[in-house]
Amino acid sequence: MRREPAGDVGRRTILKIPMTEMMTILKTWNFLSENQLQTINFRQRKDSLVQDLVLLCEENRASLKDAALLDIIYTQFHRHQKVWDVFQMSKGPGEDIDLFDMEQFKSSFKKILKRALKNVTVSFRDAEENAVWIRIAWGTQYRKPNQYKPSYVVYYSQTPYAFTSSSQLKSNLPLLGQALTIASKHHQIVKMDLRSRYLDSLKAIVFKQYNQTFETHNSTTPLQERSLGLDINMDSRIIHENKIEKERVQRVTQEIFGDYPQPRLEFAQYKLETKFKSDLNGGILAEREEPLRCLVKFSSPHLLEALKSLAPAGIADAPLSPLLTCIPNKGMNYFKIRDK
Amino acid sequence: MELANTLSQDGESRGGVLAHLERLETQVSRCRKKLEEPQSTQAVESALGTRIHELRRLRDKLRAEVKQHQARVKASTTNVEPDQTLEITEQEILKRKRENVKAILQAYRFTGISGKLTSRGVCVCIGTAFEGNLLDSYFVDLVMQKPPQIHHHSIPVFIPLEEISAKYLQTNIQHFLFTLCEYLNAYSGRKYQADRLQSDFAAFLAGPLQRNSLCNLLSFTYKAEPEGQSFPFCARLLYRDLTTTLPTDVTVTYQGTDALSTTREEQRAAHENLFFTKPLHQVFTSFASKGDKLDMSLVS
Repeated sequence: MRREPAGDVGRRTILKIPMTEMMTILKTWNFLSENQLQTINFRQRKDSLVQDLVLLCEENRASLKDAALLDIIYTQFHRHQKVWDVFQMSKGPGEDIDLFDMEQFKSSFKKILKRALKNVTVSFRDAEENAVWIRIAWGTQYRKPNQYKPSYVVYYSQTPYAFTSSSQLKSNLPLLGQALTIASKHHQIVKMDLRSRYLDSLKAIVFKQYNQTFETHNSTTPLQERSLGLDINMDSRIIHENKIEKERVQRVTQEIFGDYPQPRLEFAQYKLETKFKSDLNGGILAEREEPLRCLVKFSSPHLLEALKSLAPAGIADAPLSPLLTCIPNKGMNYFKIRDK
Repeated sequence: MELANTLSQDGESRGGVLAHLERLETQVSRCRKKLEEPQSTQAVESALGTRIHELRRLRDKLRAEVKQHQARVKASTTNVEPDQTLEITEQEILKRKRENVKAILQAYRFTGISGKLTSRGVCVCIGTAFEGNLLDSYFVDLVMQKPPQIHHHSIPVFIPLEEISAKYLQTNIQHFLFTLCEYLNAYSGRKYQADRLQSDFAAFLAGPLQRNSLCNLLSFTYKAEPEGQSFPFCARLLYRDLTTTLPTDVTVTYQGTDALSTTREEQRAAHENLFFTKPLHQVFTSFASKGDKLDMSLVS
C-alpha cells in the first residue's frame, strides 16, 4: 500500500480507467514503453492488472507530475463526468495585439498560484492546436495539496473564455480567476450563467460554432425538400385538416432552431422573483407586495433538442417563449427573472 | 334445489366469477386470433396487390419513356418534325446556359469573396489561399436590414470580428468584407506555414513548435542541417501585424554557452534575415537544398 502521493494518485487513476480504454489511455500517457506494456497480461482481472501496472510505474519512478498527467488524460477521456462552468475575460479598451506565448502563460499562471498558496500542484497538458488543460490540486499555507479533489481548467489561447470543472472550488475561485486573467493578459473575469457536463457543447455555444450551415451555390440539397413529417406514400385521399398550421409550426421552429444539431445541455434553470399576477380579484396572493420566489428547472438528456421538438409534437405553441429559445444565443442556462 | 343452486351460485360467485372472466377472456382472444388470421393474410394479399399495381405502373411509365426517346432519336435523325426538334434544342440551349451560369456562380468562390442571396440578406463566403494553395473557407451570413447585422458565421473566435464589424459593418460593407478577408487570408497563410514546418520539416526541429491560435507567435529550436553537424538555433517569430504573413519581429539566438564563431554569427544573422523575408517553410526548403551540397566551412 503506497503512501506517497505519486503512487497513490497513479493507482487511483488507473483503477478508475475502464478495461476497454486501458490500452488507449496508457498509450496516450506514453509513460510506459511499448515493451513494458507488452509484458502485461491485459486479460487478467482488473485488480491484479492494476497491481502489475503500478509495479511498472514504480520501476519507471513515476513522479507526481507523471501521475497528474495521467489524471488529466483520464479526465479528458471522461470529461462528461465533471460539470463545467464558463468564465469570460475581457481586456481594456485599445489593447495591443495579443502575442500569446503558451510557455509564458503556463509559467505566469503557476507563479501566481504558488505565490499565493505555497502548497499547490499545477500540471499542464497541451491539447489540439491551441488549447491547454490545467490540473490544480489545492492546499493551504499549512496543508499539502489535496490530490483527490483537483480542479481542471481548459483554455484556448487568444480567446476570452475559460472552462473550469466546478469542484471544491468556492474558496479558491478568486485566486484561480486572478491567475487566469493575469497570465492571459486580460483585465477582468466574470462567471457566465452557463453550466453543463458537455464541455464541447459549451465550447460550441460560446465560440458560436453550433450553427455551421451556410447557403452556397455549391450546396446541392434544396432546403424545401425536407419532408414535413407527412408520409408522401400515404393515400392521397387522406388530407391533414391542420396542414397549414403544421407547416407554420415547422417553419417557425426551423427559423428559431435552424437545421443544425443543437448543442447539448442538460438543464435550464429560471429563478423567479416576481409579484403574483392574477386575473381574479381578491385571493390571498393577489395583494401580496413581496415578490414570490420560485425556481423552475427544465431537465433533459438533450434540452435544446427537446425544446425544438415541443411545438412540432403539439405540446407547446410555436413560437416558444424567448426565455427558452435564447439559451444558445445568449450563452446562458441560468436565469434570474425579476419584475421590470 | 335452491340450496344446490345457491351453492353452485356461491361456487361461481367466488372462484366462479374469476373463472368466468377468464373463460370470456380466452374466448375473446380466440375470436380475435380467428379474425386476425384472415386479416393478416388479407393484409399480405392487399400489400402484394398494391405492389403489383405499382410495378405495372412503373413498367408502363418506362415503356412510355422508351417510346418517347426512340421517337426523339428518329425525329432528330430523319428531320421529320422540325417544330418538335426546334423546341427540344431550344430547351437544351436554355438548359446548357443555366448550367453554365450555375457553374460560374460555383466557380466564383475561387475569387476569394463570393456570396449567395438569402431570404434575409446575403451569405458571404471568404475563401483563403496562400501561394496558390486553396485553404479554408469562412462564411458570414449577413442580415441586410437598416443597420446590417451578422446572423451567424464561421469565423474563428480569435479573429477580431467584433472590432472589425464595429468599425465598418454599418458604414461600409465593402470595407468590412475586405478587411475581414485580409485578416482571414493572413491567418490562413500563417497557419499554413506553421503546419508545413511541423509536418514537412520535423527533422529540422529539435523540439515541438510552439504556436498559438492566431499563429502570430512561433517559437522553435532548429538545426539548419538535420544530421546534427550544425548547432541548434532558437528562433522566435512575432507577427504584430495580423494582416501579414511575414513576421514583424525575428530573434534567432544560439543555444549554448560558448561564444559563437564568426561563421556561426554570420549564419545566425543570415537566418534572421531569411525569416524576415521569406515564408517559414520556404526558409526550411532552402536549408534542405543547401544541405545537399557539402559545405566544408561548417566543419569546425
